[in-house]
Amino acid sequence: MIDPEVIEITLRSLIISLNATLIALTWSMIIAYLIAGSQSKLAHGAISISNALVGLPTVLVGLVFYMLFSRTGPLGIINLLYTPQGIMLGEAVLITPLLISLLYEVFHEHRLRFWELAISLGASSKQAALLVIRESLPQLITSSLIGFARAIGELGVALLIGGNIRGYTRVLTTSIALEVTKGEFEKALSLGLILLTIVLSIVIIVRALRAYLQ
Amino acid sequence: MIELRNVSFRYPNGVLALNDVNLSLGNGVTAVLGPNAAGKTTLLKVLGLIYKPFKGEVIVNGVNFWRLKHENERLRIRREIVYVHEKPLLIKGNVVSNLMYGLLIRGFSKDNAFNTVMAVLRKLGLDYLAFKKSKELSAGEAQLISIIRAIVLNPRYLLIDEPTANLDADKRKLIIKLIKNQLSRGSKVIIATHDNLLADKLANNIVLMEGGKVVSIGGRELLSKLI
Repeated sequence: MIDPEVIEITLRSLIISLNATLIALTWSMIIAYLIAGSQSKLAHGAISISNALVGLPTVLVGLVFYMLFSRTGPLGIINLLYTPQGIMLGEAVLITPLLISLLYEVFHEHRLRFWELAISLGASSKQAALLVIRESLPQLITSSLIGFARAIGELGVALLIGGNIRGYTRVLTTSIALEVTKGEFEKALSLGLILLTIVLSIVIIVRALRAYLQ
Repeated sequence: MIELRNVSFRYPNGVLALNDVNLSLGNGVTAVLGPNAAGKTTLLKVLGLIYKPFKGEVIVNGVNFWRLKHENERLRIRREIVYVHEKPLLIKGNVVSNLMYGLLIRGFSKDNAFNTVMAVLRKLGLDYLAFKKSKELSAGEAQLISIIRAIVLNPRYLLIDEPTANLDADKRKLIIKLIKNQLSRGSKVIIATHDNLLADKLANNIVLMEGGKVVSIGGRELLSKLI
């Protein structure tokens, strides 16, 4: 019999990380698309910075957001500290450089080809952008899944911004950390197994998508 | 009429691909000839309003295209010109969806676009290709489809980069027939090619290029020096 709390924690993890990925995708897609279509030095600088920030330490992002969201911080007024929404925002920012870097590669390749094709056939800028996105869709899904895997597996942001509050902000990673400190290694391992299953499922989906594309 | 006035184009890597080109396209078929890296493809892309020159003016039907402010005005002119890439590039899906794309973005209904492309395919005896997936086409078939995709739009100016590359003799004949048909519908056709024999078969205007410059413009008599 599976502990109902474990199911609840798993579902919360999935929902928070899914929302974080969707939030990050909205701005990452726009930024990556604009950078891919630009020849300016600023755009090249932006992608270099984004590449450098792919391995951004999660604890550092958590700390920065903790300071921003804390009662005396500049964003304290919006009361996001120790809330699931706060974790979503923190995770979204955490995975943004990764998504921008991945999406830039996709758009850079597809924009060169399909943008020009669409324009040469009489498409407006909007129609050309839609064609680029349509042709990039499988790779966009792959990139999003990689971003999601990074979000669901991180600890620093969820712990520092979420505070690991039972029944509210407790997610798989913070729960594992807690169980380890309590010496409940068996429960920590079973939670770890769930997390591993989710991440491995994503890897399998990504591989299957890549195989389909090739 | 498309006219280039003192046009220069430089790629982001610094290569000057067109250097002070002046050109006015005449009626019929214009063949742009020249060695590799002469600037033929770049010239076609500038004529096709895909590349914006860093210097000079592109005049289409008396309008300085790159001075137009509103996208609608640009789009109206752009849709009179269709450029076909040297390497055929097809979108995902099948042949019909590729042929329908240009019509759909021009506001055709799905049914209307479908019927139009099927009629063209039947007329050419290529309806057996209609539902074949893009990725399953041979290089020659892909080349043919990318040219037909342009022709179904019945553009005023049809620009084709290396129209007979990748093609066997039968498909080559078909392309020549398609281009001649398009001429009879009132289009002006501009081809960039290494194939002097193709130019001899089709062109009445010749543009010779070398090192990003137009070195000679004339009639068919120029071909006699090349063939």
